[in-house]
Amino acid sequence: MHIMEGYLPLNWCIIWFVISFIVVAFGLYQIKKIVDETPESKALLAVSGAFMFVLSSLKLPSVTGSCSHPCGNGLGAALFGPAVTAVLATIVLLFQAILLAHGGLTTLGANIFSMGIVGPLAAWLVYKGLTKANISSTIAIFFAAFLGDLLTYVATSFQLALAFPAPSFGSALTKFLVIFAVTQVPLAIGEGLLTVIIWDRLKAYKPKLLDKLGALAPNEA
Amino acid sequence: MKFDMDYIAHNNELTEFNPYVKLFLTIILLIVTLALDNLYFDVFIFVVMSIVILAIAKISFRSYFKFLTIPMAFLVITCIFLLFFFGKGEVIYETGILGIVVTNDSFHYAVYTFMRVLGCLPILGFLALTTPISKILHCLRSLKIPKIMIEIALLMYNVIFIFLNEIDTMQKAQNSRLGYHSYWTSFKSLGALVSTIFLRSLDKSETLQHSLDSRGYTGELPIYEPRK
Repeated sequence: MHIMEGYLPLNWCIIWFVISFIVVAFGLYQIKKIVDETPESKALLAVSGAFMFVLSSLKLPSVTGSCSHPCGNGLGAALFGPAVTAVLATIVLLFQAILLAHGGLTTLGANIFSMGIVGPLAAWLVYKGLTKANISSTIAIFFAAFLGDLLTYVATSFQLALAFPAPSFGSALTKFLVIFAVTQVPLAIGEGLLTVIIWDRLKAYKPKLLDKLGALAPNEA
Repeated sequence: MKFDMDYIAHNNELTEFNPYVKLFLTIILLIVTLALDNLYFDVFIFVVMSIVILAIAKISFRSYFKFLTIPMAFLVITCIFLLFFFGKGEVIYETGILGIVVTNDSFHYAVYTFMRVLGCLPILGFLALTTPISKILHCLRSLKIPKIMIEIALLMYNVIFIFLNEIDTMQKAQNSRLGYHSYWTSFKSLGALVSTIFLRSLDKSETLQHSLDSRGYTGELPIYEPRK
Protein backbone atom coordinates (compact mmCIF):
# COMPACT_ATOMS: atom_id res chain seq x y z
CA MET A 1 0.00 0.00 0.00
CA HIS A 2 1.33 3.39 -0.94
CA ILE A 3 1.18 6.23 1.53
CA MET A 4 -1.12 8.88 0.09
CA GLU A 5 -0.24 12.38 -0.99
CA GLY A 6 -0.33 14.67 2.03
CA TYR A 7 -0.78 11.86 4.53
CA LEU A 8 2.50 12.48 6.32
CA PRO A 9 3.42 15.71 8.10
CA LEU A 10 6.15 17.83 6.51
CA ASN A 11 8.99 16.87 8.86
CA TRP A 12 8.56 13.15 8.14
CA CYS A 13 8.35 13.78 4.40
CA ILE A 14 11.73 15.50 4.54
CA ILE A 15 13.35 12.84 6.72
CA TRP A 16 12.32 10.00 4.41
CA PHE A 17 13.38 11.98 1.36
CA VAL A 18 16.85 12.46 2.80
CA ILE A 19 17.27 8.78 3.71
CA SER A 20 15.97 7.58 0.34
CA PHE A 21 18.09 10.11 -1.51
CA ILE A 22 21.29 8.61 -0.11
CA VAL A 23 20.40 5.07 -1.11
CA VAL A 24 19.09 6.04 -4.54
CA ALA A 25 22.24 8.07 -5.19
CA PHE A 26 24.29 5.00 -4.39
CA GLY A 27 22.08 2.94 -6.74
CA LEU A 28 22.57 5.50 -9.48
CA TYR A 29 26.30 5.31 -9.02
CA GLN A 30 26.08 1.53 -9.45
CA ILE A 31 23.91 1.86 -12.54
CA LYS A 32 26.39 4.31 -14.01
CA LYS A 33 29.14 1.77 -13.48
CA ILE A 34 27.10 -1.00 -15.12
CA VAL A 35 26.18 1.19 -18.09
CA ASP A 36 29.77 2.35 -18.58
CA GLU A 37 30.92 -1.25 -18.74
CA THR A 38 28.13 -2.56 -20.96
CA PRO A 39 26.22 0.23 -22.72
CA GLU A 40 23.58 -2.27 -23.90
CA SER A 41 22.30 -2.72 -20.38
CA LYS A 42 20.50 0.64 -20.38
CA ALA A 43 17.69 -0.74 -22.52
CA LEU A 44 17.49 -3.80 -20.30
CA LEU A 45 17.18 -1.62 -17.20
CA ALA A 46 14.50 0.53 -18.79
CA VAL A 47 12.50 -2.47 -19.90
CA SER A 48 12.79 -4.09 -16.46
CA GLY A 49 11.52 -0.89 -14.88
CA ALA A 50 8.59 -0.84 -17.27
CA PHE A 51 7.98 -4.47 -16.35
CA MET A 52 7.80 -3.51 -12.66
CA PHE A 53 5.37 -0.73 -13.43
CA VAL A 54 3.16 -2.94 -15.56
CA LEU A 55 3.15 -5.63 -12.86
CA SER A 56 1.62 -3.17 -10.47
CA SER A 57 -1.29 -2.60 -12.82
CA LEU A 58 -2.21 -6.29 -12.82
CA LYS A 59 -4.71 -7.53 -10.28
CA LEU A 60 -3.67 -10.35 -8.02
CA PRO A 61 -6.41 -12.80 -7.04
CA SER A 62 -6.43 -12.62 -3.27
CA VAL A 63 -8.01 -14.83 -0.66
CA THR A 64 -9.53 -12.10 1.44
CA GLY A 65 -11.44 -10.73 -1.50
CA SER A 66 -9.60 -7.46 -1.50
CA CYS A 67 -7.86 -7.04 -4.80
CA SER A 68 -4.30 -5.93 -4.82
CA HIS A 69 -1.40 -6.00 -7.17
CA PRO A 70 2.00 -7.67 -7.03
CA CYS A 71 4.87 -5.23 -6.44
CA GLY A 72 7.49 -7.31 -8.17
CA ASN A 73 10.24 -5.89 -6.00
CA GLY A 74 11.22 -9.36 -4.79
CA LEU A 75 11.76 -10.55 -8.32
CA GLY A 76 13.58 -7.35 -9.26
CA ALA A 77 15.89 -7.60 -6.28
CA ALA A 78 16.73 -11.26 -6.94
CA LEU A 79 17.58 -10.44 -10.56
CA PHE A 80 19.36 -7.09 -10.32
CA GLY A 81 20.30 -6.57 -6.69
CA PRO A 82 18.82 -4.07 -4.23
CA ALA A 83 20.68 -0.90 -5.25
CA VAL A 84 19.56 -1.02 -8.88
CA THR A 85 16.04 -1.99 -7.83
CA ALA A 86 15.90 1.09 -5.60
CA VAL A 87 16.51 3.38 -8.59
CA LEU A 88 13.99 1.55 -10.77
CA ALA A 89 11.43 1.66 -7.95
CA THR A 90 11.95 5.41 -7.63
CA ILE A 91 11.01 5.95 -11.26
CA VAL A 92 8.12 3.48 -11.00
CA LEU A 93 6.73 5.27 -7.94
CA LEU A 94 7.02 8.64 -9.65
CA PHE A 95 5.10 7.30 -12.64
CA GLN A 96 2.48 5.75 -10.38
CA ALA A 97 1.94 9.06 -8.66
CA ILE A 98 1.60 10.99 -11.91
CA LEU A 99 -0.15 8.44 -14.12
CA LEU A 100 -2.35 6.65 -11.60
CA ALA A 101 -2.66 9.00 -8.61
CA HIS A 102 -1.22 6.11 -6.61
CA GLY A 103 1.02 7.39 -3.86
CA GLY A 104 2.13 10.99 -4.07
CA LEU A 105 4.92 13.48 -4.56
CA THR A 106 5.42 14.56 -0.95
CA THR A 107 5.27 10.98 0.27
CA LEU A 108 7.55 9.79 -2.53
CA GLY A 109 10.52 9.59 -0.17
CA ALA A 110 8.65 7.47 2.36
CA ASN A 111 7.31 5.17 -0.33
CA ILE A 112 10.75 4.74 -1.87
CA PHE A 113 12.08 3.80 1.53
CA SER A 114 9.49 1.07 2.16
CA MET A 115 8.97 -0.30 -1.36
CA GLY A 116 12.23 0.48 -3.05
CA ILE A 117 14.71 -0.04 -0.25
CA VAL A 118 13.49 -2.15 2.67
CA GLY A 119 11.46 -4.65 0.61
CA PRO A 120 14.05 -5.36 -2.07
CA LEU A 121 16.91 -5.42 0.43
CA ALA A 122 15.10 -7.99 2.57
CA ALA A 123 14.19 -10.04 -0.50
CA TRP A 124 17.74 -9.95 -1.77
CA LEU A 125 19.25 -10.95 1.58
CA VAL A 126 16.78 -13.82 1.96
CA TYR A 127 17.35 -14.97 -1.59
CA LYS A 128 21.15 -14.88 -1.35
CA GLY A 129 21.12 -16.50 2.08
CA LEU A 130 18.87 -19.39 1.09
CA THR A 131 20.64 -20.11 -2.19
CA LYS A 132 24.00 -20.03 -0.39
CA ALA A 133 22.58 -22.65 1.99
CA ASN A 134 22.02 -24.90 -1.04
CA ILE A 135 18.27 -24.53 -1.08
CA SER A 136 16.75 -24.64 -4.55
CA SER A 137 16.20 -21.23 -6.08
CA THR A 138 12.47 -21.92 -6.52
CA ILE A 139 11.94 -22.19 -2.78
CA ALA A 140 14.31 -19.30 -2.16
CA ILE A 141 12.40 -17.03 -4.54
CA PHE A 142 9.14 -17.81 -2.75
CA PHE A 143 10.52 -16.68 0.58
CA ALA A 144 12.27 -13.72 -1.01
CA ALA A 145 9.03 -12.47 -2.59
CA PHE A 146 6.97 -13.30 0.50
CA LEU A 147 9.29 -11.63 2.99
CA GLY A 148 10.09 -8.77 0.65
CA ASP A 149 6.38 -8.01 0.46
CA LEU A 150 5.84 -8.45 4.16
CA LEU A 151 8.74 -6.26 5.23
CA THR A 152 7.51 -3.55 2.90
CA TYR A 153 4.36 -3.42 5.01
CA VAL A 154 6.29 -3.59 8.23
CA ALA A 155 8.32 -0.61 7.04
CA THR A 156 5.14 1.23 6.09
CA SER A 157 3.69 0.53 9.54
CA PHE A 158 6.86 1.92 11.10
CA GLN A 159 6.58 5.08 9.06
CA LEU A 160 2.92 5.55 9.91
CA ALA A 161 3.50 4.81 13.59
CA LEU A 162 6.34 7.35 13.70
CA ALA A 163 4.09 9.94 12.11
CA PHE A 164 1.10 9.15 14.36
CA PRO A 165 2.62 8.07 17.68
CA ALA A 166 -0.59 7.93 19.64
CA PRO A 167 -0.90 7.04 22.44
CA SER A 168 2.70 5.85 22.12
CA PHE A 169 4.93 4.73 19.25
CA GLY A 170 4.80 1.08 20.35
CA SER A 171 1.05 0.75 20.57
CA ALA A 172 0.55 2.64 17.31
CA LEU A 173 2.99 0.31 15.60
CA THR A 174 1.17 -2.76 16.92
CA LYS A 175 -2.14 -1.40 15.66
CA PHE A 176 -0.83 -0.70 12.19
CA LEU A 177 0.90 -4.09 12.06
CA VAL A 178 -2.28 -5.92 13.06
CA ILE A 179 -4.35 -4.14 10.44
CA PHE A 180 -1.74 -4.80 7.76
CA ALA A 181 -1.28 -8.42 8.82
CA VAL A 182 -4.96 -9.14 8.22
CA THR A 183 -4.93 -7.77 4.70
CA GLN A 184 -1.34 -8.20 3.58
CA VAL A 185 -0.22 -11.65 4.71
CA PRO A 186 -2.54 -13.41 2.23
CA LEU A 187 -1.34 -11.00 -0.44
CA ALA A 188 2.28 -11.69 0.36
CA ILE A 189 1.64 -15.44 0.05
CA GLY A 190 -0.11 -14.77 -3.25
CA GLU A 191 2.81 -12.78 -4.54
CA GLY A 192 5.19 -15.51 -3.41
CA LEU A 193 3.27 -18.18 -5.34
CA LEU A 194 3.02 -15.99 -8.43
CA THR A 195 6.74 -15.28 -8.33
CA VAL A 196 7.46 -19.02 -8.12
CA ILE A 197 5.41 -19.65 -11.27
CA ILE A 198 7.25 -16.84 -13.06
CA TRP A 199 10.60 -18.07 -11.81
CA ASP A 200 9.95 -21.66 -12.98
CA ARG A 201 9.20 -20.49 -16.47
CA LEU A 202 12.22 -18.22 -16.54
CA LYS A 203 14.40 -21.12 -15.46
CA ALA A 204 12.90 -23.32 -18.15
CA TYR A 205 13.27 -20.80 -20.99
CA LYS A 206 16.24 -18.59 -20.18
CA PRO A 207 18.55 -20.42 -17.80
CA LYS A 208 21.60 -18.79 -19.41
CA LEU A 209 20.31 -15.30 -18.75
CA LEU A 210 19.63 -16.05 -15.07
CA ASP A 211 23.09 -17.51 -14.82
CA LYS A 212 24.62 -14.41 -16.40
CA LEU A 213 22.85 -12.16 -13.93
CA GLY A 214 24.22 -14.36 -11.16
CA ALA A 215 20.73 -15.07 -9.92
CA LEU A 216 20.79 -18.85 -9.80
CA ALA A 217 21.68 -21.01 -6.82
CA PRO A 218 25.28 -22.28 -6.95
CA ASN A 219 24.18 -25.90 -7.36
CA GLU A 220 21.93 -25.06 -10.29
CA ALA A 221 24.30 -22.89 -12.27
CA MET B 1 -8.62 2.85 -20.55
CA LYS B 2 -6.37 2.47 -17.56
CA PHE B 3 -4.29 5.45 -18.52
CA ASP B 4 -6.95 8.05 -18.98
CA MET B 5 -4.76 10.39 -17.03
CA ASP B 6 -2.03 10.28 -19.64
CA TYR B 7 -4.53 11.08 -22.36
CA ILE B 8 -6.01 13.93 -20.35
CA ALA B 9 -2.55 15.32 -19.63
CA HIS B 10 -1.95 15.61 -23.37
CA ASN B 11 -5.35 17.06 -24.18
CA ASN B 12 -6.34 19.95 -21.99
CA GLU B 13 -6.15 23.71 -22.06
CA LEU B 14 -3.00 23.85 -19.93
CA THR B 15 -0.93 21.21 -21.75
CA GLU B 16 1.17 23.82 -23.53
CA PHE B 17 1.51 26.04 -20.48
CA ASN B 18 5.11 26.39 -19.26
CA PRO B 19 5.86 23.11 -17.44
CA TYR B 20 8.48 24.74 -15.19
CA VAL B 21 5.87 27.06 -13.74
CA LYS B 22 3.49 24.16 -13.21
CA LEU B 23 6.12 22.00 -11.53
CA PHE B 24 7.35 24.77 -9.22
CA LEU B 25 3.84 25.84 -8.38
CA THR B 26 2.94 22.27 -7.47
CA ILE B 27 5.97 21.74 -5.26
CA ILE B 28 5.65 25.09 -3.50
CA LEU B 29 1.93 24.66 -2.91
CA LEU B 30 2.45 21.16 -1.53
CA ILE B 31 5.12 22.35 0.88
CA VAL B 32 3.05 25.34 1.97
CA THR B 33 -0.03 23.19 2.53
CA LEU B 34 1.93 20.70 4.62
CA ALA B 35 3.82 23.37 6.52
CA LEU B 36 0.76 25.46 7.41
CA ASP B 37 -1.33 22.43 8.31
CA ASN B 38 -4.26 24.78 8.66
CA LEU B 39 -7.80 23.50 8.18
CA TYR B 40 -9.09 26.65 6.46
CA PHE B 41 -6.13 26.82 4.14
CA ASP B 42 -6.68 23.16 3.16
CA VAL B 43 -10.26 23.86 2.17
CA PHE B 44 -9.20 27.03 0.40
CA ILE B 45 -6.54 25.25 -1.65
CA PHE B 46 -8.96 22.40 -2.45
CA VAL B 47 -11.48 24.85 -3.86
CA VAL B 48 -8.92 26.93 -5.74
CA MET B 49 -7.13 23.98 -7.34
CA SER B 50 -10.43 22.33 -8.25
CA ILE B 51 -11.49 25.52 -10.00
CA VAL B 52 -8.16 25.67 -11.83
CA ILE B 53 -8.49 22.04 -12.95
CA LEU B 54 -12.14 22.22 -13.94
CA ALA B 55 -12.51 25.76 -15.27
CA ILE B 56 -9.09 26.78 -16.56
CA ALA B 57 -7.66 23.45 -17.73
CA LYS B 58 -11.18 22.46 -18.82
CA ILE B 59 -10.92 18.89 -17.63
CA SER B 60 -14.28 17.19 -17.53
CA PHE B 61 -15.90 16.83 -14.15
CA ARG B 62 -16.16 13.07 -14.61
CA SER B 63 -12.42 12.57 -15.14
CA TYR B 64 -11.59 14.76 -12.18
CA PHE B 65 -14.06 12.88 -10.03
CA LYS B 66 -12.55 9.59 -11.13
CA PHE B 67 -9.10 10.87 -10.23
CA LEU B 68 -10.31 11.71 -6.73
CA THR B 69 -12.46 8.68 -5.89
CA ILE B 70 -9.88 5.95 -5.26
CA PRO B 71 -7.57 7.99 -3.00
CA MET B 72 -10.64 9.41 -1.27
CA ALA B 73 -12.01 5.96 -0.51
CA PHE B 74 -8.70 4.98 1.07
CA LEU B 75 -8.55 8.24 2.92
CA VAL B 76 -11.97 7.80 4.50
CA ILE B 77 -11.12 4.28 5.65
CA THR B 78 -7.79 5.26 7.18
CA CYS B 79 -9.23 8.30 8.88
CA ILE B 80 -12.02 6.28 10.46
CA PHE B 81 -9.31 3.98 11.68
CA LEU B 82 -7.33 6.90 13.10
CA LEU B 83 -10.46 8.31 14.68
CA PHE B 84 -11.40 5.22 16.66
CA PHE B 85 -8.17 3.47 17.49
CA PHE B 86 -5.67 6.20 18.21
CA GLY B 87 -5.01 8.78 20.77
CA LYS B 88 -5.20 9.38 24.44
CA GLY B 89 -6.54 12.10 26.62
CA GLU B 90 -10.04 13.26 27.11
CA VAL B 91 -12.77 10.97 25.84
CA ILE B 92 -15.24 12.94 23.77
CA TYR B 93 -17.43 10.18 22.37
CA GLU B 94 -18.11 6.61 23.45
CA THR B 95 -19.31 4.09 20.89
CA GLY B 96 -20.21 1.56 23.56
CA ILE B 97 -18.74 -1.31 21.49
CA LEU B 98 -15.69 -3.05 22.93
CA GLY B 99 -14.75 0.11 24.74
CA ILE B 100 -13.82 1.89 21.54
CA VAL B 101 -13.78 5.60 22.11
CA VAL B 102 -13.01 8.78 20.27
CA THR B 103 -10.59 10.93 22.19
CA ASN B 104 -9.55 14.50 21.85
CA ASP B 105 -6.26 13.46 20.34
CA SER B 106 -7.55 10.95 17.83
CA PHE B 107 -10.19 13.41 16.68
CA HIS B 108 -7.46 15.97 16.10
CA TYR B 109 -5.33 13.47 14.15
CA ALA B 110 -8.17 12.25 11.98
CA VAL B 111 -9.48 15.69 11.10
CA TYR B 112 -6.09 17.20 10.37
CA THR B 113 -4.95 14.24 8.28
CA PHE B 114 -8.19 14.19 6.34
CA MET B 115 -8.02 17.86 5.55
CA ARG B 116 -4.35 17.76 4.70
CA VAL B 117 -4.85 15.01 2.14
CA LEU B 118 -7.93 16.81 0.87
CA GLY B 119 -5.80 19.88 0.25
CA CYS B 120 -2.88 18.02 -1.31
CA LEU B 121 -4.78 15.77 -3.72
CA PRO B 122 -5.95 18.52 -6.10
CA ILE B 123 -2.41 19.95 -6.14
CA LEU B 124 -1.07 16.59 -7.29
CA GLY B 125 -3.99 16.46 -9.69
CA PHE B 126 -3.07 19.83 -11.10
CA LEU B 127 0.36 18.53 -12.09
CA ALA B 128 -0.70 15.02 -13.05
CA LEU B 129 -3.73 16.01 -15.11
CA THR B 130 -2.24 18.93 -17.01
CA THR B 131 1.37 17.96 -17.66
CA PRO B 132 2.56 15.09 -19.87
CA ILE B 133 5.27 12.96 -18.28
CA SER B 134 7.80 13.71 -21.00
CA LYS B 135 7.61 17.41 -20.11
CA ILE B 136 8.01 16.74 -16.43
CA LEU B 137 11.08 14.63 -17.15
CA HIS B 138 12.45 17.39 -19.35
CA CYS B 139 12.09 19.83 -16.44
CA LEU B 140 13.72 17.43 -14.02
CA ARG B 141 16.68 17.14 -16.33
CA SER B 142 17.37 20.84 -16.21
CA LEU B 143 17.12 20.61 -12.42
CA LYS B 144 20.33 18.53 -12.43
CA ILE B 145 18.71 15.17 -11.86
CA PRO B 146 21.28 12.70 -13.24
CA LYS B 147 20.96 12.22 -16.98
CA ILE B 148 20.99 8.45 -16.78
CA MET B 149 17.92 8.37 -14.56
CA ILE B 150 15.96 10.60 -16.94
CA GLU B 151 17.02 8.48 -19.92
CA ILE B 152 15.89 5.28 -18.24
CA ALA B 153 12.63 6.93 -17.23
CA LEU B 154 11.99 8.15 -20.78
CA LEU B 155 12.69 4.74 -22.27
CA MET B 156 10.48 3.16 -19.63
CA TYR B 157 7.64 5.49 -20.42
CA ASN B 158 7.85 4.37 -24.04
CA VAL B 159 7.87 0.68 -23.26
CA ILE B 160 5.03 0.77 -20.70
CA PHE B 161 2.40 1.45 -23.34
CA ILE B 162 3.66 -1.32 -25.62
CA PHE B 163 3.43 -3.73 -22.71
CA LEU B 164 -0.05 -2.67 -21.76
CA ASN B 165 -1.31 -3.38 -25.25
CA GLU B 166 0.29 -6.81 -25.21
CA ILE B 167 -1.11 -7.61 -21.79
CA ASP B 168 -4.54 -6.59 -22.93
CA THR B 169 -4.38 -8.94 -25.90
CA MET B 170 -3.01 -11.82 -23.86
CA GLN B 171 -5.53 -11.41 -21.08
CA LYS B 172 -8.39 -11.46 -23.55
CA ALA B 173 -6.98 -14.63 -25.07
CA GLN B 174 -6.62 -16.27 -21.67
CA ASN B 175 -10.06 -15.13 -20.60
CA SER B 176 -11.71 -16.56 -23.68
CA ARG B 177 -10.16 -19.91 -22.78
CA LEU B 178 -11.48 -19.75 -19.20
CA GLY B 179 -8.05 -18.79 -17.93
CA TYR B 180 -9.48 -16.87 -14.97
CA HIS B 181 -12.16 -19.38 -14.10
CA SER B 182 -11.01 -20.29 -10.58
CA TYR B 183 -8.38 -19.15 -8.09
CA TRP B 184 -5.77 -21.66 -9.11
CA THR B 185 -6.22 -21.18 -12.85
CA SER B 186 -6.06 -17.41 -12.33
CA PHE B 187 -2.76 -17.85 -10.58
CA LYS B 188 -1.43 -20.06 -13.32
CA SER B 189 -2.64 -17.74 -16.06
CA LEU B 190 -1.24 -14.69 -14.34
CA GLY B 191 2.09 -16.43 -13.85
CA ALA B 192 2.17 -17.42 -17.52
CA LEU B 193 1.23 -13.90 -18.53
CA VAL B 194 3.87 -12.22 -16.42
CA SER B 195 6.69 -14.56 -17.38
CA THR B 196 5.80 -14.23 -21.06
CA ILE B 197 5.82 -10.47 -20.71
CA PHE B 198 9.18 -10.66 -19.03
CA LEU B 199 10.67 -12.85 -21.75
CA ARG B 200 9.21 -10.59 -24.42
CA SER B 201 10.54 -7.56 -22.61
CA LEU B 202 14.03 -8.99 -22.92
CA ASP B 203 13.62 -9.36 -26.68
CA LYS B 204 12.16 -5.91 -26.80
CA SER B 205 15.08 -4.40 -24.93
CA GLU B 206 17.43 -5.91 -27.49
CA THR B 207 15.42 -4.50 -30.38
CA LEU B 208 15.22 -1.15 -28.65
CA GLN B 209 18.96 -1.09 -28.17
CA HIS B 210 19.56 -1.97 -31.83
CA SER B 211 17.19 0.70 -33.05
CA LEU B 212 18.80 3.28 -30.78
CA ASP B 213 22.29 2.26 -31.88
CA SER B 214 21.39 2.36 -35.55
CA ARG B 215 20.29 5.99 -35.13
CA GLY B 216 23.55 7.00 -33.54
CA TYR B 217 22.49 6.89 -29.90
CA THR B 218 25.32 8.00 -27.64
CA GLY B 219 23.43 8.17 -24.38
CA GLU B 220 21.38 11.25 -25.07
CA LEU B 221 17.95 11.77 -26.58
CA PRO B 222 17.77 15.33 -27.86
CA ILE B 223 14.25 16.72 -27.69
CA TYR B 224 12.85 19.31 -30.04
CA GLU B 225 11.15 22.13 -28.18
CA PRO B 226 8.64 23.80 -30.50
CA ARG B 227 8.50 27.58 -30.21
CA LYS B 228 5.31 28.90 -28.71
